[in-house]
Amino acid sequence: MRIDKLHTLTLAAGCAALLPAFATAQSGDKPMFAEPVRIQAGGKGLGDGRMYPSPMMHDVDRDGVLDIVIGDLFGRVTWARGTKTTGRFSFEGEKPLNAANGKPLKFHNW
Amino acid sequence: MGSQFVDINRDGHLDYLTATFDGSPHVAFGNAKGFAEPVRLKDRNGKRVVISSYWDYEKKKHDKTGRALGVSEAPRERCISALAFDWDGDGDHDLLLGSYENGHLYRQMNEGTDEEPEYTGTCVPVMAGGTPFALPAKMTAPTLVDFDGDGDLDIVTGSFGNSYAAKGESGGVYLLRNTGQVGAPVFAAPETLIAPPERAGTEPNAPHAGLYPTVADVDGDGDLDLIVGGYSMWTPKGRELTDEEKATAERLAAELKDARAAYQALMQKMSAAVMDAMKGLEPRSPEAREKGSAVRESFKDRIAPAQKRMRDLYQKHRELVPGPQRKAFVWFYERLPAEKPASE
Repeated sequence: MRIDKLHTLTLAAGCAALLPAFATAQSGDKPMFAEPVRIQAGGKGLGDGRMYPSPMMHDVDRDGVLDIVIGDLFGRVTWARGTKTTGRFSFEGEKPLNAANGKPLKFHNW
Repeated sequence: MGSQFVDINRDGHLDYLTATFDGSPHVAFGNAKGFAEPVRLKDRNGKRVVISSYWDYEKKKHDKTGRALGVSEAPRERCISALAFDWDGDGDHDLLLGSYENGHLYRQMNEGTDEEPEYTGTCVPVMAGGTPFALPAKMTAPTLVDFDGDGDLDIVTGSFGNSYAAKGESGGVYLLRNTGQVGAPVFAAPETLIAPPERAGTEPNAPHAGLYPTVADVDGDGDLDLIVGGYSMWTPKGRELTDEEKATAERLAAELKDARAAYQALMQKMSAAVMDAMKGLEPRSPEAREKGSAVRESFKDRIAPAQKRMRDLYQKHRELVPGPQRKAFVWFYERLPAEKPASE
């Protein structure tokens, strides 16, 4: 894992270990977390400037590595492909999650 | 909008379930080629699944109904999050619906099947620690995960907090442990996973508002981490000002205050004039709209300069004294090992 001065992060991890089903949960303890760091995708901040970005981990391209899907207030959906290079896990740049018709998936809002 | 990838209609393809601020769950059904155009879920009576408040696309306004809560005077509660969850273990997906206002969580049962669902149209409060679950700071979206590894699904959710004020209440992330069994969930009182952080930084250092969490072992170390989307609030540290610049900043701040007061007075005067012009007319009638527009038009040449003056003063002041910033990011919270007792 690499953290720079701007509280940004590149993730280092094995592919299979990213799947939540393989995670070892800790029962009974009080969960503790480190200080937050901003996630980078394709050299940019993931979800930067979106309105109410809502992340979800999901293997969009079914390559065995979790990707990040980001929804927002307007019902727009993007995803950042998770990759692994020489042991370091990172995310490619965000792009729209397309529907079957080839157009960006968009949920209705008011 | 939270996201859930789930085969809600059991056709072998993952579907995309979510809810937006229009007050209803939406699903983009998956097929061999991808996701179809999203549709809103309907109950067994053919009506939109709602909690109470919803956006009426035909009337182009928010409306509300008490039908799902069984009340005549419906509270304002928009369904802005949805999860598919087999609550009663009967083999089909029921719904968990989260409200923005008051942060309530409801379940709506499916008395049909996944292939032919029959959502009852009735929202039942989800209890947590023996009382109806509520997040007074407004709920973003819950997610289902076996957080404590006991074989059933727990709930992790976030709150909005104050989404705009530089010094307002922040949102947090909470865990509801499922202490029941598969098919008979019982949720304990919420535990705080991420306490609402203080808004005091000179750079973005945490999500402060609109915390949308999800859970996964992101760094591959075998435990569950948090990924959280949300707005950061911070005020950049300004440079050291000379005495002359300090005096200028003070003068600009005073002038800006006066300009804002003058603008507000002008807007109030215009509102009063519009009301006066529309007196006795049906508010939404063409005649009323025409009269109102004419009054607003007559104020344009005074409003535009007032707005420009405020903008100019604001920009000049901000060049000397940085103001509060607000921007959304996605954050990673690494799970830390459990603390061992001192005796070990």
